[in-house]
Amino acid sequence: MTRAALPAVDRPARRIVRVGRVGLGRRPSGPLAGEERWAWLFLAPTLLGLAVLSAGPILAAFAIALTKWDLLTAPAFVGLDNFTALLRDAHFATALRNTSFYTVTSVPLGLVLGLGLALALNERVRGMTWIRTAYFLPVVTSTTAIALVWLWIYSPQGGLLNQGLTAIGLPPQRWIADPFWAMPAIVVMSVWQGLGITVIVFLAGLQGIPTEYYDAAAVDGAGRWARFRNVTLPLLTPSVFFTGILALISSFQVFDQVYVLARPGKPTDATATLVYFIYENGFKNFKMGYAAAASWILFLIVAVLTAIYFRSQRRWVHYQ
Amino acid sequence: MNGRSSSGRLRTLSVAAAILGLVVAACGSGPAASSAASSAAASTVAASSSTAAGSAGASGGASASTAASPAASPSAAGYQGPPVTIEYAIWGDPQEITNQKKIVDAFHAKNPAITVNVTVADWDAYWDKLQTGLAGGAAPDVFAMDGPLFPDYQTRDVLLDLRPYIERDGYDLSQLAEQGVKDFTTPDGGQYGLPRDLNVIALYYNKKMFDAAGVAYPDDTWDWQKLVDTAKKLTKDTNKDGKPDQWGFYTETTDMENFWLSLVWENGGDVLGTDGKTTALGSPEAAGGIQFLQDLIYKDKVMADPAIFAETGDAFEQGKAAMEANGSWLVPTHTAAGIDFGVAPLPKGPTGRFTSVNPTGAVIAKSTKAPDAAWEFVKYLTGPDAQQQLMQLHQALPVAKTVLDGPFATAYPGADVFASALQYARLKPSFKGYNEFTTVLQGELDENVFNAPKKTAKEALGEIAPQLDALLAAG
Repeated sequence: MTRAALPAVDRPARRIVRVGRVGLGRRPSGPLAGEERWAWLFLAPTLLGLAVLSAGPILAAFAIALTKWDLLTAPAFVGLDNFTALLRDAHFATALRNTSFYTVTSVPLGLVLGLGLALALNERVRGMTWIRTAYFLPVVTSTTAIALVWLWIYSPQGGLLNQGLTAIGLPPQRWIADPFWAMPAIVVMSVWQGLGITVIVFLAGLQGIPTEYYDAAAVDGAGRWARFRNVTLPLLTPSVFFTGILALISSFQVFDQVYVLARPGKPTDATATLVYFIYENGFKNFKMGYAAAASWILFLIVAVLTAIYFRSQRRWVHYQ
Repeated sequence: MNGRSSSGRLRTLSVAAAILGLVVAACGSGPAASSAASSAAASTVAASSSTAAGSAGASGGASASTAASPAASPSAAGYQGPPVTIEYAIWGDPQEITNQKKIVDAFHAKNPAITVNVTVADWDAYWDKLQTGLAGGAAPDVFAMDGPLFPDYQTRDVLLDLRPYIERDGYDLSQLAEQGVKDFTTPDGGQYGLPRDLNVIALYYNKKMFDAAGVAYPDDTWDWQKLVDTAKKLTKDTNKDGKPDQWGFYTETTDMENFWLSLVWENGGDVLGTDGKTTALGSPEAAGGIQFLQDLIYKDKVMADPAIFAETGDAFEQGKAAMEANGSWLVPTHTAAGIDFGVAPLPKGPTGRFTSVNPTGAVIAKSTKAPDAAWEFVKYLTGPDAQQQLMQLHQALPVAKTVLDGPFATAYPGADVFASALQYARLKPSFKGYNEFTTVLQGELDENVFNAPKKTAKEALGEIAPQLDALLAAG
């Protein structure tokens, strides 16, 4: 590599980012005539799938949301009654609060831990492939199996966690069975379970950062922290953005962790989430219209948050 | 929720699949088409039953299928239609499933024209599948029905009224336990299912622990006070760590069936008022029953706080409790755990002795294309052969009186106690909207009464009663 190929080398690391931004603005001119046809062809399977399997059900759910329907007898049109009833439903408010708690805690926690682990795993150490595989294992393991193991960890009677607490002289807790600890306990398990995805994406992002930037920064006298702050972090923002949006959306859809872990028997006010609320009403309480209305509110919340998140990327996401 | 060890149930669920089912349901013309088809079938049956009424002894000869194909002989008893395959859906554990399959095989041997496919799911998935199946026009022909949930299905017109078939075949309902039959009867005289088996609640006791403490076994003279006194003697902290490692008593608090429903009745209370439209749980009698259970945990301290065994399961099964009030379905569990146990009636309360009986029924989907074959199978399920087979599991009580009062009483030590408990048993409440009602109620009780004594039973019930009434009023 010659210096000529590295325009950024003799500038402070901070300015590299600016260069990257310029690159973002320099879009290639429009596709050639033949290319456009191919693009649509390649997009077609996904677009078709989205239209049939996502857009269709979303619209159908909205139609159902305007009815009183028990699944078994004919639906009756009730206008926006389901939506107004939801706003007055204390159980819905509880589910919304529990879900928000889950999102606000699990998303940042997952990102920070994932980043730390990715940095550690990015070092060239013997046996790293095995360690990376180990971290990815929970991602491909069934939530039910994971939850059963965590139930044992959290068990108030001789569970692993309580054994540890007792060993260091702290009082044992009831964890899942305690309304105060139940949701944090579920968050911790979920973060652990989802860590693999975040780490893999961050690792890919880290390895995509050209070493030249670090060399240049080193030449400029940047220390370890300065290199992280001014090279690694800015160039990793696309990965942060990507994993962040995945985590945000999936956190609002949290269901199986709660469903399997929650005690006694099923989620209560301490742990019921929006999707559990939808499931309970639709399939247990014969209120499919009500459940559909709740699912639309969930859809709107996720859509609005995603839109805000997308708009925010201009301010903090740096593409090379 | 069903009383069976809800906490230990391994649950898997694919919401995606359920929602897909919903979409299919929304697209299909399911309910309208199938109800038209089944009403046609019902009218055929009505026609053939009027002809069968005249010819005594030709029981079960006529059927919708024979009406369609007059070539078939009407003289022999049983199913006369063309070969048909029906689906029988049940929930249950692996042992129950194996047992039900044996019943099905024996039925097929007797009725070669009818093949029965058994489909199985765990408790939660069972109801999800059933609802989407019913909505999408792909319901099983015959399926298991939990007593309390029956009205939610019957009132939505998805079950076949068996009354015409019962009359056509001269089927004698009095050969089955009355409570079981009654649970599937409607006020207008319809019979929308037959009971398959029964579950009742009694008091299990660990003989070794009683012997070691030199305490006499529970018997039918026991009352609430005697239960508390004995449980205190059997609650022991042998390793002196300040926490009992042997509890005098254990029960599950997460469903009314396991114990607290019986306590409410034994204290003169009830869940619903006589009109069935409001809850009676706000009464001092009902509160007194539930208070007794809270006191066992937090005042008498003879039962562990429910969180302690929420993960590890039944304390009696683990040999950590001397007594357990719970259902007949636990006999195989406790036997497998190697517990040397006996069974006694529930202790008498201030207003007498009561226990809860909850039937599992066999019902037929109104949309079935083979109502005659399905009916033949349902009849078989309640017959002596199937009931004998069912009894082998020691898991539930048979409904056929010949088996219940006959071989069952000596099937295992304590079986006679369960069988005679039916004399003072009342049906577990069963009404439309049962699930939502109990979810709200049990949520309040678990959080504020049983899992932590944040409120007395009276306070909790007083607060929740208006909500429950509103749910009942909304239907």
